[in-house]
Amino acid sequence: MTISESAATDRPSDDVIVELRDTSVEFGMERGQSRVLNEVTTEVYRDEILGVIGESGSGKSMFASAMLDAVPEPGVTTGEVIYHPEEGEPISVTDLSKDELRQFRWEEVSMVFQGAMSSFNPVLPIKTHFVETLSAHDYDIGRGLARAQELLSDLYLDPERMLNSYPHELSGGMKQRVLIALSLVLEPDLLVMDEPTAALDLLMQRSIVSLLEEIKEKHDLTIVFITHDLPLVADLADRLAVLYAFEFAEIGPSNRILEEPAHPYTRALLNATPNLSAPLEEMRPIAGESPDPVNIPEGCSYHPRCPLADEECETIDPGPYDAGPDHDVHCHHWEQSIEDLDIAFEETSDTGKTPSAVDKASGDPLVSLSDVEVTFGSANEGWLDFGESQTVTAVDGVSLDIYDNDVVVLVGESGCGKTTLAKTAVGLQTPTAGTIEYRGRDIWEGASGSTLADKEIRRALQIVHQDPGSALNSHHRVRTILEQPLKRWHPDLDGNDRRERILGMLEYVGISPPEDYIDRYPHQLSGGEQQRIALIRSMLVNPDLILADEAVSALDVSLRVGMMDLMIELQDVFDTSFLFISHDLSNARYIAEKTGGRIGVMYLGELVEVGSAKRIIEDPQHPYTKALRWATPELDAEQIGDSEESPMRSIDIPDPTDPPSGCRYHTRCPEAREVCATQTPGFVDLGDETHAQKSACFRAYDDHEYWQSASITDEHADSGVDTGGDTDSGVTSESD
Amino acid sequence: MNWKIRRFGQAVFTVWAVMTLAFFLTRMMPGNPVDAFVARVGPQLDNPQEAYEMAEIYMNINPQDPIHIAYVDYMTTMLQGDMGMSMSQNSSVAAIMGEAIPWTLFVMSWAIFIGFAVGISLGALMAYWEGSKFDVALTGYATIITSIPFYVLALMLLITFAYRLNWFPTAGRRPEGVEAGFNIPFMVGIIHHAILPIFSMFVASGVASLTMRGNSIRVLGEDYLRVARLRGLADRTIAVQYIARNAILPMYTGLMIAIGSMFGGAVVLEEIFTYRGMGYYMIQAVRARDYPLMMGAFTVITIAVVISLLIADLTYGKIDPRAGNEDHDAF
Repeated sequence: MTISESAATDRPSDDVIVELRDTSVEFGMERGQSRVLNEVTTEVYRDEILGVIGESGSGKSMFASAMLDAVPEPGVTTGEVIYHPEEGEPISVTDLSKDELRQFRWEEVSMVFQGAMSSFNPVLPIKTHFVETLSAHDYDIGRGLARAQELLSDLYLDPERMLNSYPHELSGGMKQRVLIALSLVLEPDLLVMDEPTAALDLLMQRSIVSLLEEIKEKHDLTIVFITHDLPLVADLADRLAVLYAFEFAEIGPSNRILEEPAHPYTRALLNATPNLSAPLEEMRPIAGESPDPVNIPEGCSYHPRCPLADEECETIDPGPYDAGPDHDVHCHHWEQSIEDLDIAFEETSDTGKTPSAVDKASGDPLVSLSDVEVTFGSANEGWLDFGESQTVTAVDGVSLDIYDNDVVVLVGESGCGKTTLAKTAVGLQTPTAGTIEYRGRDIWEGASGSTLADKEIRRALQIVHQDPGSALNSHHRVRTILEQPLKRWHPDLDGNDRRERILGMLEYVGISPPEDYIDRYPHQLSGGEQQRIALIRSMLVNPDLILADEAVSALDVSLRVGMMDLMIELQDVFDTSFLFISHDLSNARYIAEKTGGRIGVMYLGELVEVGSAKRIIEDPQHPYTKALRWATPELDAEQIGDSEESPMRSIDIPDPTDPPSGCRYHTRCPEAREVCATQTPGFVDLGDETHAQKSACFRAYDDHEYWQSASITDEHADSGVDTGGDTDSGVTSESD
Repeated sequence: MNWKIRRFGQAVFTVWAVMTLAFFLTRMMPGNPVDAFVARVGPQLDNPQEAYEMAEIYMNINPQDPIHIAYVDYMTTMLQGDMGMSMSQNSSVAAIMGEAIPWTLFVMSWAIFIGFAVGISLGALMAYWEGSKFDVALTGYATIITSIPFYVLALMLLITFAYRLNWFPTAGRRPEGVEAGFNIPFMVGIIHHAILPIFSMFVASGVASLTMRGNSIRVLGEDYLRVARLRGLADRTIAVQYIARNAILPMYTGLMIAIGSMFGGAVVLEEIFTYRGMGYYMIQAVRARDYPLMMGAFTVITIAVVISLLIADLTYGKIDPRAGNEDHDAF
């Protein structure tokens, strides 16, 4: 980096807590030296929340580890990492001895990983983890445990229950919160969080993020929050830093980055991130892919993908330019970027009038599910089996019609049964009760075991999996993979015709030159290309309905919109219907709104609300849909700051083996009344004659005994989020 | 609780099934041993009827009874601990077993203990220095020792250390001319006799070390280990509580199976060293066509295996909290 003095050092130096100077992390690989953090120079200020955004493989985890000099072997950290304690001399972290480092970590700077699921020793109770940590650092154990209990209850957990549990007895969300408590038990000043919520559900992510703010205030913390999910940190962070190709592209105050991003990559990333409020035309993917750490491009590493790139960008690494107070940008053309790029984005492609959900929801359904029920687990096996039967009803009495050219997106938390329902709809899961009809015929008629009897129906119902890497046979070339469906369903084609058709399809989905790709193996393709191949493979069968199970969530943010656009385009060309599964309301909205499809919200095996994208996003009726809506963060700078109270009474989802009685959401619903615990609400058509929105909540009726019923929320009403632990027991007593 | 009762019921059922099988095999086998006994003993006696009574004394089976009554009688006497009379050793089967079992237990439990202890330690060191010369050399050693059958090793040890070097006795289980009891010459003598058999079973350490190496390397890559290091825990705590505990856990069931099958494994070993334990008598029984002794040994071995597996299942939950929940089957 040419300019070592950062343009942003206009703050008093005692405000800085951690300083990185030309810090690099390198791994020796067979292909050459792999630089996963490239001469980064930056500062973290005391008492701020710094959000670090980067796509997968941008070096963000290495940035986190470098701050504690905890880069896993055989990585090597070079450059300086300087920690400024509140009192005393600055500490050069990279020069600390092993013992000093052991003291430094966790007492001054601690870290929370993504893998909370496996961050605890499975054979030790939670309490031991706290005690070990305290005694390893010679802290008073009694006082330390008291602090741990306080931290746990601050995080809405039941301290006694948590401390006496083993890790496997806690849900993912609980473990993540316990890990946060564990990381704060030695009162560090700086907390580094590396994708702390990535493995969690949307609602849990949002709940944890809103707790962080309180924790930070109470314990005088500085937080570095590293994530790939820009909207998640947008309203939490004071400053945002954008990592691209192992170095910072831009760093500045959150509202500046969101409103007036100066780096072309930040602009592109903002436009590529699906969200709930931005107009669809403004969302567009970033062309190209992130660079390989062995071969970082000369000059500005973003130049191969940048529309503004010129010769200067290809040769000279852009140092930080001052783009306003506290706002640094690594781009030679940042001023031009602000002026020009928006204009480029403004020419809206006329998408034409998308057909509305109402138009499609007419005529005979393509696939019709009625009262479908799926139960897992075994009942008593008899003969020397004295065990109790253990069953989980994953889908409980759901009816849904899917029409020709229709798009239905199922959303919900993990374990809500959305995948089971969708697999049942395409005949990959045998229902325990209820029927699935394909064009009026029961698909399980004459079927033996788990195979559909009618080959024609099997062809008509297809699936695209979440992880394309494991969905493609790694020992077959792309050609073989794509020939299989053609041979099976178009036996009249000869070898040349097949090849031509495959080449044509590859070209069509933007994999070019197709001749080059046709002989590759799946591992020689990028994630986006693999997913395209998987998509083509199911399209070549000419199906009527494709189940896309989280088909974009494994891809980088910048590629998601592109993939969804491709799917929508293929839907038109091939005249199919899509059943999408998503845990992310933004993605659901993008697809449903662009195709005029419907969104179905599931909760604990039941469909609680169905409607057009517009109605679900703008006017959700069911309280659970409102909670999902709340949990989906906004990118809009205006809305940032007014983080509303959580609309749920408890963070943790009830035990699905023993679902609450009546309306299943009543244990978390802020509007729950006594009647909700005893009666199960049916679907109410809110769209009047249009069927555009249906909700399963008593509040949809104007005149219902619900309105006379007493509220059951009082005891919990004052806290935005309720104690995760003891609500579970509360639930059972209420439902008994 | 339900799960424990069910598991116990399964164990009882297995023992019952094996004993029943033993009965019917003895009774219905071609060349029926009971009839053969009567045919062999009968002519030598004045009263042929006495042969049937002797058959009942020796084998608990009276061939004159209808099969269901014979079965009930057999099971009743077996449950009372009366396994019949040995035809070759001139003593009751129960007495022979009672006398032989402690010796087998002594040798085999030490063999298993030393084998596992050495295997686990070596495996841990191999994982710690993964890829080093030490690791490569020991992996080679473990592979070779695992592929040698223990009786071959036993013969080699016997030839080298007993016959050539005369360091150890070639046969027997106790020193001669020394009074049995808790006195030093006797104890030293026992150990002296047991060392070669114990070290022949050293082959078990090969498997154990390779398993331990694999498990440890897996644990070394776990997230909780990285977090533990960052938390600044002492290396000793990490090595014992984090790595060793999680790496040894999966080997527990294997250890219990080894304990259960040790009586069976002793058969050839004790024959080679003329070590008068369970296995030695079993071979003698086979040679002499001593059916009562054979069946008795067979039953004891079965019960040992069943009990060890029952203990393994019931205690696994104590050492691995993940399996401790009775709602979930540990297997």
